[in-house]
Amino acid sequence: MMLLAFNSFLVAMLSVPVVTVISRRWTKARALPAALLMGSLVIGTAVAAVGFWRGQRFQVDICQVASFSFALSLDRLSAFFLLLICSVSLPVILFSSSYIPRHYSGARRHWLWVLLPLFLTSMVLVVTASTPFAFLFGWELMTLFSAGLIVIDGDSEQRRHNIFIYLVMMHAGAAAVIGAFLLFLPHASNFAQMRASAALMSPLLRTAVFLLAFAGFGTKAGIVPLHLWLPRAHPIAPSPVSALMSGVMLKTAVYGLVRFAFDFLGSGPSWWGYLVLFAGAVSGLLGVLYAIGEHDLKRLLAYHSVENIGIIYLGLGSALMFTANHSSVWAALALTAALLHCLNHAIFKSLLFLGAGAISDAAHTLDLEELGGLQKRMPLTGTVFLIACCSIVGLPLFNGFVSEWLTFRSFLAGSEMTNLSAAIVLPLAAGVLALIGGLAAACFAKVYGVGFLGRPRSGEAGRANEVSLPMQAGMGALATACVVIGIFPGLVLRSLGALTEELLPGAALPPAATSLTVVLPWIALFVLVLVGGFAGFKRAKKLTATWACGLPGLDERMQYTSTAFSKPLRRVFSRAYRAERTLEVVPGDPPYFPVSISYRSVRTTSFEKFLYRPGVDAIVTAALRLRRLQTGNIQIYLLYIFAALIALLMFMRWA
Amino acid sequence: MGLFETAAAKALASSGVFLFMTVLLIAAAKRISTCIALFSVQSLIITAQIIAVSRMHHSTEGFVIAGLVLSVKVIAIPYVLYRIVEELKAPRDVSSSTSSSQSVFIAAGLILLSFFAVRPYVGVLGGDQAMLAAAVALVLTGGFLMVSRKKALMQVVGLLVLDNGIFLAALTTTFGMPLVIEIGIVFDLLMGVFLMGLFVFRIRDTFDHLDVSKLRRLRG
Amino acid sequence: MTLMTNVLQVLLLILLAPLVRGVISRIKARIQNRRGASVWRPYTDVLKLFRKQDLVPASASFVFRLAPMVVFTTTLVVAAFVPLLHGSALLGVTGDFVLLVYLLALGRFFLMLGAMDGGSSFGGMGASREALVSTLAEAPFLLALMSVAIAAHTASIAGMVQWTMGQNFFQFSAVHALAFAALVLVAIAETGRIPVDNPTTHLELTMIHEAMVLEYSGPSLALIEWASAIKLTVVMALLIALFVPWGMASSVSALALGVASLVMLLKIAALVLALALVECSVAKLRMYLVPDFLGVASALAILAVVFTALMR
Repeated sequence: MMLLAFNSFLVAMLSVPVVTVISRRWTKARALPAALLMGSLVIGTAVAAVGFWRGQRFQVDICQVASFSFALSLDRLSAFFLLLICSVSLPVILFSSSYIPRHYSGARRHWLWVLLPLFLTSMVLVVTASTPFAFLFGWELMTLFSAGLIVIDGDSEQRRHNIFIYLVMMHAGAAAVIGAFLLFLPHASNFAQMRASAALMSPLLRTAVFLLAFAGFGTKAGIVPLHLWLPRAHPIAPSPVSALMSGVMLKTAVYGLVRFAFDFLGSGPSWWGYLVLFAGAVSGLLGVLYAIGEHDLKRLLAYHSVENIGIIYLGLGSALMFTANHSSVWAALALTAALLHCLNHAIFKSLLFLGAGAISDAAHTLDLEELGGLQKRMPLTGTVFLIACCSIVGLPLFNGFVSEWLTFRSFLAGSEMTNLSAAIVLPLAAGVLALIGGLAAACFAKVYGVGFLGRPRSGEAGRANEVSLPMQAGMGALATACVVIGIFPGLVLRSLGALTEELLPGAALPPAATSLTVVLPWIALFVLVLVGGFAGFKRAKKLTATWACGLPGLDERMQYTSTAFSKPLRRVFSRAYRAERTLEVVPGDPPYFPVSISYRSVRTTSFEKFLYRPGVDAIVTAALRLRRLQTGNIQIYLLYIFAALIALLMFMRWA
Repeated sequence: MGLFETAAAKALASSGVFLFMTVLLIAAAKRISTCIALFSVQSLIITAQIIAVSRMHHSTEGFVIAGLVLSVKVIAIPYVLYRIVEELKAPRDVSSSTSSSQSVFIAAGLILLSFFAVRPYVGVLGGDQAMLAAAVALVLTGGFLMVSRKKALMQVVGLLVLDNGIFLAALTTTFGMPLVIEIGIVFDLLMGVFLMGLFVFRIRDTFDHLDVSKLRRLRG
Repeated sequence: MTLMTNVLQVLLLILLAPLVRGVISRIKARIQNRRGASVWRPYTDVLKLFRKQDLVPASASFVFRLAPMVVFTTTLVVAAFVPLLHGSALLGVTGDFVLLVYLLALGRFFLMLGAMDGGSSFGGMGASREALVSTLAEAPFLLALMSVAIAAHTASIAGMVQWTMGQNFFQFSAVHALAFAALVLVAIAETGRIPVDNPTTHLELTMIHEAMVLEYSGPSLALIEWASAIKLTVVMALLIALFVPWGMASSVSALALGVASLVMLLKIAALVLALALVECSVAKLRMYLVPDFLGVASALAILAVVFTALMR
């Protein structure tokens, strides 16, 4: 039954491009691709839900039919990520069913509806693969289809440069992942075999596998210093695609790392945990610091993805340290925290990007300095954006808080470890997480406060109107999920606990972890009753003008801008920014009254200057040196061929 | 009475943990008078430690030393230093080369370093791990103060803190040095402070400032 | 009976809060050689504001009026976490210190948003400065509470209080001393007192909290003022409960509770006096020196956490 549903899901997804191509001339069938895609996603969600909550497994094997090893299977971990993909994509596609016709026409629209389902299918392939071939096939397709989706939005010089960087870094990461899989040879025909052979590997080989997997999946996930592509690729994609890339695609990288580190390799030395923990801490801090300095909304959200991946890695790192110390109960807690944060981040990050899409649809700009007053003009969009902001900051009664709370609890448990350095490092990581949370709160107070509140800072923002109903419905569904998981986390926690029990032998979710599920609904009820009481009891208000110190009028440019809001924090953390500032003053006739003053402050990415540029230069220099092998002389080329033949003969003789 | 005795004994014995607080606060302090007051508090805590140790070993020598330390280090030396600060009429801020919070982080690092340094020796030398670590931390902090503070008077305060640390180390490991040596050290210190007081005025009159980082003639 | 006592604790915290504020102002006035307003002035202020009308800027959205309600509600919930008279509170067992810190953060977040919704420069200025202070104060707050939680082997506030009550008062512990020092510094930053923020100023250069609430009037302002007084009292009660809880009732009888209330009043009075003295003798810090101040608190809190492992 499940097998049938899953197969029909795959067939339905793959039929959407076909239907799009066929029906491109029929104007009546405009909504057909979207409806078909949503229908197939509903089937996918159902399959994943049954797999996740009930724990039913199944397998789709093409090995018997074709000669290459291609098989899909669904165990609880795959079911969780499949649920994540399908349930988050569903509202996004609902949003795009109205967004895409408004912004794209003709061939571009058709290409979008062809590539979107293929992109989603490739992600499904990655999380349900049970052979390395299927995994890598889906992995590469993910990159290619997402690059294609970005290209649809335009291909100016700058955009092509960014897409190029994206493709290069993704392929470098894929090379590392392929290397990790190759190290399992000759027992690498499917995952079960790999799992069995991993137990017999030497520690050196296991370390090599872990490091390659860490580097490869880290590039895809976007941890510092491998994050360079994230703020270049996510902002230039269409908004629904950005939502999918940031919300869903990054999680496939986390899936890969969890598969390798917990499923295949089992446990390892504790320095693996330290590495992942450190990477998570640095990514979290630098991601949010860079985000605070941005005023382009999509770039800001892209940097926040780096930050949240950092938080997920904090949970994964502590889980690795716990497994190395054989405290599987606390490892289960940490792993549950990381996985729940994957789900939560997928939901609220997609919602934020959809909100950005709605803003660009209504106000035609994504620069925070030009926005303002959108809450009054777009009530529903503003409210769901507010819910998303509260979730990403990790405030109680929203879903981000639950996963951060679980992460804090696992750090607290880390203090009971017998290893002294672990007992010191883990609680200190809680301080890092608290700092990250505080910075995120400051950043999103800026985003929502400058973008939605106050008065419009430009004419376009003042003329913004509420977006269409499907867009509202898509965003509303995600916001509802944020609030529901935030108040009733037990819905997901129990099954996540079962999932971690499968991954970590002998683990069970500690009862202290579930105390939150008891207290949150009561607090929510109390807050609702009280706030509702105040709101109902409030007297009539009187509308006035904002206090302007007695002066006649208040200009909307007198409000704080995004740059001004973040200035104190940017000044305190100036070492992370190393801004290059240029100030040009064109003096007038009396030199005290300048004609124009221009000020430019660019945050230099130290990683580009000190890590990537030297690396790229070294590669280019090496390539230029190797060019000497290409003499152009045919006889030299023939010499190469014969030399290779001789070397092969000698190798066969003496090997 | 018994209850009061045990309570007082416990309080005296565990007051050593407050030494870490004084280390951090003296690193964070921004005025010279605050540093002098913190040094006085430090010496008071050390007096309490001396009394606790002497009670444990029932030695009257210890009480004499305690009285000595109290009168000289808690009352006399800080008073002399206060008078010097008043007479100088110079700005009272501690010109430091590191900011307040940087100094506190460095002091915290020094405390952790001293903990890790004394770990292998705890069983061998006897004495409390925390006390020994506090002694090493005081020595290191005294050195840090001398290195990072540019006012001449702060060099004196740094030296005094360093001496406190050495004294405490002797107290925890060998339960104090012989009485004669203790008296000698304490009076040496008193003389040193008086001399430094005279010198500070001479430095100010000769160079018109008290910034130690500008005194650079000690070269080959 | 326990439930009634816990509800009584929350009511005491809420109703005594303006009095604490009034007493602090009165003591400060006397120190500054003034007569000072009556100690019941905050009560009359709140009542007066509730009778007045809410003036709302025409460009503001619903967030402007929602923010004071959220601030007041979250502060109320936090008040239910802290044991006052005996070693448990309404949410003391299920509520842990992470939830406490983040509930306060929820209130602060909405206050910042409400300030931005006013549409004036004052709101943005207050919100931006508050963002700086609260960002840097959150880490030492959490770390200091975590160090006490690690020492007490429990995460709930009531559990921590009961553990501390079981300790010997005269056996000083380095972890508690450092955590107390860090929490005092953080408490000054969180409640917006001198030297971090001046609660009585209205000069652009110096106000943080007052700039955020400049646009508010009527019942909204009453809720905000009351919430800020409750926050001050709750933070004081938290400091007392975590570090000097001896004197709390061990049984829920009327006599024990009466004695505990007297002891609690004495402790709060001592803290009030100390706060008034500090506010009168120290100058407010320049805004870019506040990160320095909070850096000292962070170092203290980090050291407290490390000590829990070193001094085991």
